[in-house]
Amino acid sequence: MPLSAYLIVSAILFTVGVVGVLIRRNPLIIFMSIELMLNAVNLSFVAISSKLDSADGQMFVFIVLTVAAAEVVVGLAIIVSIFRTRRDIDVDDMNLLRG
Amino acid sequence: MTNLTAGVLLFPLLGFVILGVTGSALPRRMILAVAWGACGLAFLLATISFFSMLGTPPAARTSDQVLYTWVVSGDFQVSFGLLFDPLSATMLMIVTGVGLLIHIYSAGYMEDDPGFWRFFSYMNFFIFAMVLLVSADNFLFLLVGWGLVGLASFLLIGFWYQRRTAVAAAQKALVINIIGDFGLMIAIFLIFRQYGVLNFYNNANGPGVFSALDPATTGNRLQLVIALCLFLACAAKSAQLPLYMWLPDAMEGPTPVSALIHAATMVTAGVYLVARAHPLFELAPTALTIIAVIGGVTALFAATIALFQLDIKRVLAYSTISQLGYMFMGEGVHNYSAGIFHLTTHAYFKALLFLAAGAVIHALGGEQDMRQMGGLRSRLRTTFWTFLVGTLAISGIPPLAGFWSKDEILSSLLAQATANHKAISYLLWGIAIVTVALTAFYMFRLFYGIFMGDYRGSGRASHAGDEEEEEPSRRTAGRFTIHEAPPIMTIPLIILAVLSIIGGLVGSFDLISLSKWRPLTAFLAPVFADVHTMATASFGVEWISTLVSVGFALLGIFAAWRLYGRGFQYKENKNPFYQLLYHKYYVDEILDAVIVQPILWFGRTAARVLEGDVLDGGSRAVAGGLRGISAGLRRLQTGYVRNYALAILIGVVLIILYYAVRG
Repeated sequence: MPLSAYLIVSAILFTVGVVGVLIRRNPLIIFMSIELMLNAVNLSFVAISSKLDSADGQMFVFIVLTVAAAEVVVGLAIIVSIFRTRRDIDVDDMNLLRG
Repeated sequence: MTNLTAGVLLFPLLGFVILGVTGSALPRRMILAVAWGACGLAFLLATISFFSMLGTPPAARTSDQVLYTWVVSGDFQVSFGLLFDPLSATMLMIVTGVGLLIHIYSAGYMEDDPGFWRFFSYMNFFIFAMVLLVSADNFLFLLVGWGLVGLASFLLIGFWYQRRTAVAAAQKALVINIIGDFGLMIAIFLIFRQYGVLNFYNNANGPGVFSALDPATTGNRLQLVIALCLFLACAAKSAQLPLYMWLPDAMEGPTPVSALIHAATMVTAGVYLVARAHPLFELAPTALTIIAVIGGVTALFAATIALFQLDIKRVLAYSTISQLGYMFMGEGVHNYSAGIFHLTTHAYFKALLFLAAGAVIHALGGEQDMRQMGGLRSRLRTTFWTFLVGTLAISGIPPLAGFWSKDEILSSLLAQATANHKAISYLLWGIAIVTVALTAFYMFRLFYGIFMGDYRGSGRASHAGDEEEEEPSRRTAGRFTIHEAPPIMTIPLIILAVLSIIGGLVGSFDLISLSKWRPLTAFLAPVFADVHTMATASFGVEWISTLVSVGFALLGIFAAWRLYGRGFQYKENKNPFYQLLYHKYYVDEILDAVIVQPILWFGRTAARVLEGDVLDGGSRAVAGGLRGISAGLRRLQTGYVRNYALAILIGVVLIILYYAVRG
């Protein structure tokens, strides 16, 4: 399979992730969309790495996975604590930090 | 020749430091010991140096001690040096001698003042500053002394700082003196620019200004500017028109201060400076004419004001201004030694008059108004006689001191007039003669007002029957007894009276025979050896001038006797001329309207417009603008996470587009 196929899939996944972040109001879905974007990037990393015969891209994938895991931990903790106080986790209702 | 000028300088400085640091803790006896000791030692050293100078041949009478080098910059050097020549020796003798007498007198006058130590500390400081002024061998240290005497004057005028008027007077004196200091500084800058040196004469440390002068530059515009700037300084320090206003107000200080600083010594610093810098003035004949004219106008102007003043110290203050005008007239016609001669005799009789007036004020519990005096001749016998001597001396009655010195100036003026036949020279002589009559008139008016007629004040006239009462508080009107001053005050009066009688004997007796006996002129001759432009009076001119001046003096005395001989009576006088003189030509009012009020108005307006509308308004406008901008910008911070995400996306897309387009 040519490299462009992987990159097209990656671009589609990334766009789906961006649209998901922008239009959904449930933070869990937003998180999943962010994961989708990260993994789209991971896919391009791995594809290009295999094409270039270099392990560098795969190294980055591990780092990205680690960061994504840590981010989800923190994010979920915040969501849980918000849910406990407000019984609701709609992101459009959380707009107190405005100018 | 022994030159102990450094010691003369050192002891008053030590006295000032000791009294200034520890004075408040010392008993009065110790304060007096330090103050008198410092001044007495200075006088002793000055006397030793003076007599040692008399023992040296005239050509070798100048010594310039360079104590150390103050500034070195390339080949420009300023040293701290002390010049001891006949001129500074004369000044040192006057400053320390009269200073010592006034120190002694002050012990009695200031007896019950809480600021006793402060007073003597300032007085020693003044002696130090004045000695520095007259013995500096270069313009820089002259300026230092010049500024320090101004400071001493400021401190002593404002000595009774609880009085609002005293503080105002001190500030006025300081401000006007600083105008003069400014002139002196400009003159020094110009001298440095032109000659590159500041020493007066060549000394161990380099060349001097006066030695570097080129007679070919006579009448040069720069010489004129230098001379006029120097004279600006002299006019401010010596209270000449148009900078005389501070001196009458300076009478707010204690009377011994008026005697020492504002009559005998500091105000003559201007006369000294003209004499000291005479080589510069000789190169600017126009400046000398201006000096003579200003001196003459000031003499007449101040004498007319003095005619109808009621405060006895103010009469004396205006008479000081008038007499200083005489000195400048003498110097203006190149007769510098006559100016110094009059300075000397004036120091005696004016100090005497002030101290005697102080004794009167002391006796009357602080009263200075002539309307509250009269009839004191029998109660204050010593004061009466010494005051009479001073009055006769200042009026120019032979053979007292004032006669000889004033006569020398007058005959110089007439000699100048007969030599150059200019109307202005004759006019100056005429002014001087008229002023003689006015001087005699107002001095005898003062004399009759204080001592003759009946007592008009409210104080009790005798001690009898008052013994059981409490110690009278002397500063309260009507609660005092009239008493002669203690010996500590009368002895300086008597010494000064003797000097006022015989002090003129050092002058020239040209009337009897030309140039036979002129000790002071001969003594000062080495300093003024380079003056060749003085017109010498012939025998006939001498006699004409003398007879006319004595005639006018007697006329003034006669007029005063006719009006006030039976005692001074104050009457409201609606005559506009009288009102003009009584209100001192309204100079203070005019200055207030022309200078003070506009400046105050400018200040207030500036406070409102500049500070309020421009500065505050400007910063308010900046703040308002920023607030408006941020009010717009804060809309962007919606708090909706998805908006931020969109913004990030747009940003990223834009950045990628930018690089894509740029290639």
